[in-house]
Amino acid sequence: MRHPKRHVLSLLTLSISLFSCASFAATKLTLVEVITSPARTEMLQKMLTAYKAQHPDVEIEVVSLPWGQAFEKLGTMIQSGQYPDVVEMPDTWQGLYASNGMLADLEPRLKSWSGTPDLTDKTLTMARSSGGTATMIPYGFYLRAMFWNKKLFQQAGLTAPPKTMDEFMADAKKISALGNGISGYCMRGGVGGTNAWMMFMAAMNGSPEFFDKEGNSTLTQPGAIKGAQFLVDMYQKGYAPKDSVNWGFNEIVSSFYSGKCAMLDQDPDALIAIKNSMNPDDFSVAPMPLGPNGKAYPTIGYTGWSMFKQSKNQDQGWDLISFLSNKENNLTWSKFVGTLPIYKGAEQDAYYHAPQFAGWFAELNSPDYIPLTMPTHFKGWGYFNSVIVKDSSQETLLGQNDTESMVKDWAKYLTKEQKAWLAAQK
Amino acid sequence: MMLEVSPPDTAAAPRFPRLRALLEPWVYLSPTLVLIALFIFVPMAIGISYAFQNIQLLNPSDTGWVGLDNFRTLFDDRHFYAALRHTFNWTLTSLVLQFALGLGLALLLNREFAGRGWVQALVFLPWAVPAFLSGLTWAWLLNPVIGVLPYWLTDLHIISEPYNILSDPQLALYGPVVANVWFGIPFFAITLLAALQSIPKDLYEAAAMDGASGWQQFRKVTLPFLAPMIAITVMLRTIWIANFADLIVVMTDGGPANSTSILSSFIFTTAYRKLDFGYASAMAVFLLVLMTLYALVLLRIRHQLLK
Repeated sequence: MRHPKRHVLSLLTLSISLFSCASFAATKLTLVEVITSPARTEMLQKMLTAYKAQHPDVEIEVVSLPWGQAFEKLGTMIQSGQYPDVVEMPDTWQGLYASNGMLADLEPRLKSWSGTPDLTDKTLTMARSSGGTATMIPYGFYLRAMFWNKKLFQQAGLTAPPKTMDEFMADAKKISALGNGISGYCMRGGVGGTNAWMMFMAAMNGSPEFFDKEGNSTLTQPGAIKGAQFLVDMYQKGYAPKDSVNWGFNEIVSSFYSGKCAMLDQDPDALIAIKNSMNPDDFSVAPMPLGPNGKAYPTIGYTGWSMFKQSKNQDQGWDLISFLSNKENNLTWSKFVGTLPIYKGAEQDAYYHAPQFAGWFAELNSPDYIPLTMPTHFKGWGYFNSVIVKDSSQETLLGQNDTESMVKDWAKYLTKEQKAWLAAQK
Repeated sequence: MMLEVSPPDTAAAPRFPRLRALLEPWVYLSPTLVLIALFIFVPMAIGISYAFQNIQLLNPSDTGWVGLDNFRTLFDDRHFYAALRHTFNWTLTSLVLQFALGLGLALLLNREFAGRGWVQALVFLPWAVPAFLSGLTWAWLLNPVIGVLPYWLTDLHIISEPYNILSDPQLALYGPVVANVWFGIPFFAITLLAALQSIPKDLYEAAAMDGASGWQQFRKVTLPFLAPMIAITVMLRTIWIANFADLIVVMTDGGPANSTSILSSFIFTTAYRKLDFGYASAMAVFLLVLMTLYALVLLRIRHQLLK
């Protein structure tokens, strides 16, 4: 050997480069978030930075899809074979992806996860709501309750929120009589109005069931039609603003805090914007009004984290999901996005002690309030929710169609979907 | 003694001169033709073929050729007829207003005045704003919580109280129409201004000497010169407006109660919300045929005008 030192040096350099190559060959995870806002993405990134600090070998690419186009964009990604590892999964899509067999089965992982025993029963039920196998870990619940404007109630000579559906209608009438463009109810006639229709139909019908055993829709039962007519009357009698036929989330919330309408049925996420724009003494949140049978059925929605079966990094994906879902992170995230947390005893947290949350916890703790789970297990639920209900309910509110034919059309579509789903389960 | 005739040199003279002359330009054109075929005709053919198939993304297993089924469904669909009616209304109203105001603006800009260059550049501004952004801005302007327009409309007694006309089925379409007119005026203004500037000035001088009034000059000199340009711009703009769903999707999403849904927004909803690409393609093919027929008529008119 003429230059043994040089050889040793070369060998050393080679091994250092190989070692650094190996350390650079990190696992790259793709996380798709679908309900986005700059602040929300920033919060998620903060949590991911904490995760990456503990896992220097993991790189995470966050793909933020704006909610308005998220469904189509994720669909396109999947069609082209780009499967994300972790996905923020809304309940309305869980059915579609789970019944197509595309979501990873989380049951074996739940069995060995230390967080599982502390999850509430509702969390596990929702995780398994599509086909009985856990395909997501919800990160929080959106439960409907009634925001009411104390000032406008006072002006109309009222002191308490409505307890029953009859009181709800009567209060809306009294408040609308104040004039000056003020109405009783902030109706969501545009996209996302389905929950209100289903909730009022269930309240008047006295049942949270959407189908009978054969898979026939119960929406055509007389009580359910009465519930739909209740909302139509509310609008047509002028107890909801004329514009509200087209309102989505932003419009109902901004109209509530600007004092244009006095009652708003919404989830805790609306509280974020309302708290910022209203004096906390001027409004409160009450449980939903009870139907003729003394029960109310506030809709419950949820979003969570899922993994795709086709992901090549399922172990790392699960590790990330369990990190995002641990008690501490879940509480931080729930407070930030405005959901009710997934762990037992979370209402003991100081944040959830605020008087506004009392309405939601009253619903969670009383047997008179039975959360209504929408039949999101259908493949066609997204279309029903965002197009069919929106278009046909607007026609009815504007007097171009009658309530009964509208409800019959919905029932026909839902019965077809439910029967197809039942057949696929056999 | 006979002279020996040598065989023709094949390298110097082609064996089939006529064939070669016939093929030669096509060889030169071939890269362009291949590109056009690849990027325009192939996707179009695939799109048209979808119209005769069942392609529902929610039922990926249930696919196949269905012949004219999608078209049969189309002609039984009341929403399709409503969308067709709104398409005519939307296209005609937008086009007439864009054209009239664009022509007026072009005539004004054709005069000499200080700072004309700047004004011309400013006039072009709406064209540079993305449609999504202008839709959003107009939707905000029409919203009584944050916009001023409902209050002005009330003061002008056009509506009884300050509400959002986008939620009124009788008036909703006029929201996107106004946004579209604002957006489309520059196109007519700029193209017609270019045509106006190419009209020889001496024609106006001669007409003025003969005692022609301003209106007569416009009718007898300006309009005949502008006519071929008008025909072609009106044709292009009609096709663009009829296919232009962006403003409607952003401002009203076809609502309330489908009162502003035009064919192209309905196609979008069917394809990307219902995820039924077969039915959406059938509607798109219908729109394609309709627009092709319209273009043929206008090209014919233009041909007559040029004679």
